[in-house]
Amino acid sequence: MQTWGRAAHALTSGPVPVAVAVATAVPDQEVRTDEQLETADTWVTIVWNDPVNLMSYVTYVFRTYFGMPQERAERLMRQVHEEGRATVSSGAREQMETDAQAMHRFGLWATVQASGR
Amino acid sequence: MTRRRRPWTFEADEGGWVVAVAPPERAVLLDVVDEVIELLGGAESVEQQGERAARHPLDAIELDPLPIAPPVDPALRRLLPDASGDPAVAAEFRRLTEADLRTAKATNLTRLRAALAGARTEVVVVPSEAPSIAAALTDVRLVISERLGVRTDEDAEDVYRLASEATSGEPSPRHLLAAVYAVLTQLQESLVGLMLGALPRRSSPRRGGAD
Repeated sequence: MQTWGRAAHALTSGPVPVAVAVATAVPDQEVRTDEQLETADTWVTIVWNDPVNLMSYVTYVFRTYFGMPQERAERLMRQVHEEGRATVSSGAREQMETDAQAMHRFGLWATVQASGR
Repeated sequence: MTRRRRPWTFEADEGGWVVAVAPPERAVLLDVVDEVIELLGGAESVEQQGERAARHPLDAIELDPLPIAPPVDPALRRLLPDASGDPAVAAEFRRLTEADLRTAKATNLTRLRAALAGARTEVVVVPSEAPSIAAALTDVRLVISERLGVRTDEDAEDVYRLASEATSGEPSPRHLLAAVYAVLTQLQESLVGLMLGALPRRSSPRRGGAD
């Protein structure tokens, strides 16, 4: 799944269209190898604290982009502010890359990584 | 009859969210916005995109993008940051997404520019464009904060303190930049307050963009 997804990714210029990301998010047991089992669906998006972004704005971004309720959005925003970072989403690598790119569009700094690292 | 408005604070009014900004101050804000648009490589208008596509059919075919080095300018690098601590992952992400990110940011900034350049005595933001304009305000503040060397919350407090200090005679460039940063913060804070207030109480799970 990951390999197939990366190949599709490389064929497009710019971000993977949502349709492709959704299609690759469907697990395909036939083509999975052990290595892919280990990495598929286990990536995370981390948002990092900075001294510029407003607490209200970060809350707004979490609410509107991820569809979080106000309380959860505020809790994650506070975690970013107080701990310096917070994991805001987890799932397939391509979805995490889409999320990170969206965060960058909003002006937040986000990174992706395999979870457990 | 005119309403007395609080300085640098968006308020709900007919037709959208408005704030009074005097022409000389607008000119300063427009200059700063233009600098950030330029930093991103300029904004290509819809007409220009159309012309480019019409020039040659092959130009319209987008090829696999080549690797791009991270920006050297730290302010630009903050706008287009690394998306991973793993250099290979970050490089691949940048190769595939940086051009789109630049375009999206330039589009947001162009909307902010249009709002500031409007003919009315007040700057008007329609709610549908507010997310784009709030994102643009963030980007301008990120660039100014980088130029002012803001690294910590304490640094930011120092900037606000400097902005509120009275000056005798010409303010220093740093003082001026701090003042611009402080008003942009106030504009964004008040705009985002209205945006949050306009959201439905219960959000539905979805992923949506900044424009």
